[in-house]
Amino acid sequence: MIEKRIEELTQQIVQRFEKSGYKINAKEVLKRLKLLMLEFKVPENEAVRTTVNYLVKELEIPRESLAVESEFVRISDITKPNQWVSLKVKVVQLWDSNSPNISQVGLIGDETGIIKFVIWAKAGKKEVEEGKSYIFKNVVTDSFGGRMQVNVNRNSEIVEIEEDVSLPPREIEVVGALISIQQNSGLIRRCKICNRAMTKGLCPIHGKMDGYDDLRVKGVIDDGENVYEIILNEENIKNLTGIGLKEAKNIAEEFLDRTAVLTELKKRLLGRYFKLIGNKGERYLIVKNIEFLKVGLKEEVEELIKSLEVQA
Amino acid sequence: MTIRKREVARRIFAHEFNNSTYKIQDEGEKSPVYVLTPLGLKCNRIFIVGALLEKEEAKPDSGIWRIRVSDPTGVFMGFVGRYQPEAFESLLEIEPPELVAITAKVRIFEGSRIMVFIRPESISTVTSDVRDYWVVETAKATIERIKRMKEGNEDAKLAKQIYSTDLEEYKNVVKQALLTIMEGFIEKAEETEIVDEEEEIEEEIEELEDIDEFEFEEEEWDLSELLED
Repeated sequence: MIEKRIEELTQQIVQRFEKSGYKINAKEVLKRLKLLMLEFKVPENEAVRTTVNYLVKELEIPRESLAVESEFVRISDITKPNQWVSLKVKVVQLWDSNSPNISQVGLIGDETGIIKFVIWAKAGKKEVEEGKSYIFKNVVTDSFGGRMQVNVNRNSEIVEIEEDVSLPPREIEVVGALISIQQNSGLIRRCKICNRAMTKGLCPIHGKMDGYDDLRVKGVIDDGENVYEIILNEENIKNLTGIGLKEAKNIAEEFLDRTAVLTELKKRLLGRYFKLIGNKGERYLIVKNIEFLKVGLKEEVEELIKSLEVQA
Repeated sequence: MTIRKREVARRIFAHEFNNSTYKIQDEGEKSPVYVLTPLGLKCNRIFIVGALLEKEEAKPDSGIWRIRVSDPTGVFMGFVGRYQPEAFESLLEIEPPELVAITAKVRIFEGSRIMVFIRPESISTVTSDVRDYWVVETAKATIERIKRMKEGNEDAKLAKQIYSTDLEEYKNVVKQALLTIMEGFIEKAEETEIVDEEEEIEEEIEELEDIDEFEFEEEEWDLSELLED
């Protein structure tokens, strides 16, 4: 079993050197790998690295010319296509793939940015999971539709790592319908110490506490393809509805019911389309700017009708 | 345990929705139910904007209300009961006819006749510009699905097999839907009388009442079972 694996690894190493224009002796590689793995019980990746290092030194190959261990780069440094690079990243999002040639497609990110990645089915890699961090070794940069991406091919390696790679604050623009407003929205009370929302006068951390009033909306924006959980603060809400904290308190007093504020906000916001800009956190999109969507549709409709006539 | 992702609310016209008869459900009791449409859309939740035409109690004192909501292509039939308190409360305050936006789960009834209906999660009244945007958005989504039917991903292939979908039919429906809102724009542009929204809807109702295809047959259903989950 392991002998067979060693032969595979030998082939891989020989191929890597061949790609860079160096012919090496497969028997020599095999011998060294066997020694390291069978005799000395060195783990596979260490054995490969040691063997490669040995060959590089022995043959006096300049390291840069060997596409074996691509240089680690930051995502923001990726600006040119067809570069071999290695990345330390977190999988931000996986998308549905429509093509049988693609095993997985989605977004990966590090501190400096976020980039699309494609794992080709032919690469034969184990699937990655959203939210987990990995080393993406020997992937190739590419440009697609005017944006950079990285492709994972047969020569790439994906290794899961313990470290939690952090992501940059991510600003995105979304156009979609507000299809849900959560019950814990509207006129709420927050804990004076930690600012967390309280339920029935209780802070989830500090228990029974003094609180202060605040206005917020937790909801879901849906554009038919993706779902975004959003949080609107008092300023956002006031800009959209004219209801600020003061007005909200008035409504609550008038109806002798704090939930009347939520009912009113739902009436004015639910089921409408919005255009918004916000920062993507771990779960919520923290909204910076939000407005009711206003677009002229006439020309678009004309074009759509025309396109249907052409197809028909 | 894996956390199930929130289902996206798909955009779909009543015509495509009502022609759907195929249910997809993975094994496991709690697996979500999907309806596969003739254009290969697998949907569990939808977002629609249309005219609420009627609301009436399905059976006296059942607490379950039957609603009919029309878009330019047809009528969505839905049920709202005590298991959807948010939608239920809003519905009580709305007097049809009225333009509404509805987020709903899709359900499929497999009796003597297979039929789909919606189970609203939230209902709110909206203005005609929201409806216009929805029609355009839904037209675009439908056109995209028609394109995919030609390329053929897995769902598209399955849909073709089950429904032998006539793509021209769906193109025409989309075109008609777009033309109805185009009329609105032209009227606005010519600054003719502002169309009374209510009148417009009344007309729509009259038109729709002629279509008995969507008439709902009274059958002895155990409605509560359908609505529980």
